[in-house]
Amino acid sequence: MFRISVTVCGRGISKRLASSFSGEDALPSNLRIPSNLVDRARAERPPPPSDSSLPVLRRCDAAVPVHLSPVQTWVETLERRDSKQLGLVDLHPDVFAVPTRIDILHEVELWQRNFKRISRAHTKVRSEVRGGGKKPWRQKGSGKARHGSIRSPIWRGGGVSHGPRGPTSFYYMLPMRVRVQGLKIALSSKLAQDYLHVVDTLNIPTPDPQYLMDLIRYRHWGESVLIVDVGEELPENILQATESLKTVNVIPAIGLNVHSMLKHEVLVLTLEAVKFLENKLLWHDERFTLLYPFKLPYTDLP
Amino acid sequence: MSFTKNTGGKALDLLQNLPRITLANLRPEPGTKKAEKKRGRGQHGGNRSGRGHKGERQRGNRPRLGFEGGQTPFYLAIPKYGYNEGHSRRAQYQPLTLNRLQYLIDLGRIDPTQPIDLTQLVNGRGVTIQPQKRDYGVQLVGEGAGIFAAKVNIEVQMASEEAIAAIERNGGIVTTGFYDPRSLAVLCKPVPYFLSGQPIPKRMLPGEDMVPYYTDAANRGYLADPEKIQKARIALAQKYGYILPDISKDELFHMLFMRKDPRQIFFGLSPGWVVNMAEKKILKPTDDKLLQYYNS
Repeated sequence: MFRISVTVCGRGISKRLASSFSGEDALPSNLRIPSNLVDRARAERPPPPSDSSLPVLRRCDAAVPVHLSPVQTWVETLERRDSKQLGLVDLHPDVFAVPTRIDILHEVELWQRNFKRISRAHTKVRSEVRGGGKKPWRQKGSGKARHGSIRSPIWRGGGVSHGPRGPTSFYYMLPMRVRVQGLKIALSSKLAQDYLHVVDTLNIPTPDPQYLMDLIRYRHWGESVLIVDVGEELPENILQATESLKTVNVIPAIGLNVHSMLKHEVLVLTLEAVKFLENKLLWHDERFTLLYPFKLPYTDLP
Repeated sequence: MSFTKNTGGKALDLLQNLPRITLANLRPEPGTKKAEKKRGRGQHGGNRSGRGHKGERQRGNRPRLGFEGGQTPFYLAIPKYGYNEGHSRRAQYQPLTLNRLQYLIDLGRIDPTQPIDLTQLVNGRGVTIQPQKRDYGVQLVGEGAGIFAAKVNIEVQMASEEAIAAIERNGGIVTTGFYDPRSLAVLCKPVPYFLSGQPIPKRMLPGEDMVPYYTDAANRGYLADPEKIQKARIALAQKYGYILPDISKDELFHMLFMRKDPRQIFFGLSPGWVVNMAEKKILKPTDDKLLQYYNS
């Protein structure tokens, strides 16, 4: 354990050592975690290159507010297993650096699970159970308890008084802006915790799933990877490669959702996907209330 | 450590050293989820389950709302009178104060260099009109007449004298026009209407009760005589004590004098035309009967 803590690189260990000397940037004691709980892959990832000579390949399209500055991350490529970073990309802070609200993520996750749910549990009430119209025996004189029907809830084989009744829908909609904020928070937390990677395109040399697994293991990305691209036609090779893999999945950018992002350890976006997401998610920040349903076209919706 | 100029700020810095956020780490804000009281279970939900002790209350046999034990209930004892007779059928006009209009112009939500229509007001979210709820449009109200300072060509459905004076004092033009409910719905939400593929309807003329209002020059009605309107403008200026500015020498003269035909709903679009938004084309009718109908 001591050996692992020595080889752990980056900000984590230096911060923990520094905390014993200086009190300013020290983590409070309830947030300090023992090193064997930190993800291995995160710890083994190579440290960032100290030189900043990489070119910025993409600036933010939308105007960044004056008091904020864009966050940056590297652009990699999937062409070769061991290629270096191609450059840097600017990410809009109002999408990729929003304050983390776990309660909003929780709300959106619950909504995603429940709004599609239709529970088809159904029990029969005493009137629906077959039989039970006739009084079983006379009211008085038989010495038995008085009953009106053999299907009352007291009886074995009788109806259920307060059971589930028919297909029940659990549909509800969270406000649009809450769902948008959930996506932004998920993206921001992935970026902040080093689980977000930006890639130029999804072109890989072979449709072999082993190539992808090797690449992921070599770069210490993590156990499960969610790859996001824009457009209806994704490259054939990557689709074939991920088809047989359970933990590596490719989705179009319109299918990005909080549940998938949290279920997969690592999120890989292409440059087009970053542009698409920024456009769509930032529109909601500065729009009027909708006059007509969102699914009808809006001229200023990107 | 890192000087991050972000809204996330310190929280995102802290997040770097915390465990990964996963489906297992999510929880609601403490205090937001109050546990529901399960009736019929436990010491506090059980026993009588919140129904009280015996009687109609516990047995669920209480009489209807308003019943007073046999005494003539309040809602029957009070005699009827026609205060509210036909209240749900009366026309309603959403008020628009001059304060609000000035606010919208100042914020750039309404463009004063173009004619201001109910469509522009709704697009700038200045007013909310519900044509299905007997709204017949918007009425201009004089509150804020003292601070109003914008030269506009505005078309509303009703206007108070003070509001007309305030607008004309600044060199603008007010017109009152009538829209029947179907035309009003088209005017307020043009995009869904165009997407439905129906032709633009022709605006109906006002009913018997509203014709005197819209033919009166004092209300700047759209059916009134333009000469009488000019005289009314001069009379109003004398009444309120301001000099009527000469609009004909204005640079925006052409825009200020744009007015709609009594049968027209949109500037630049005639009744009968079909707007194809997907291909950005307008289709006009060619049949004689249709042309006769739409031009009448």
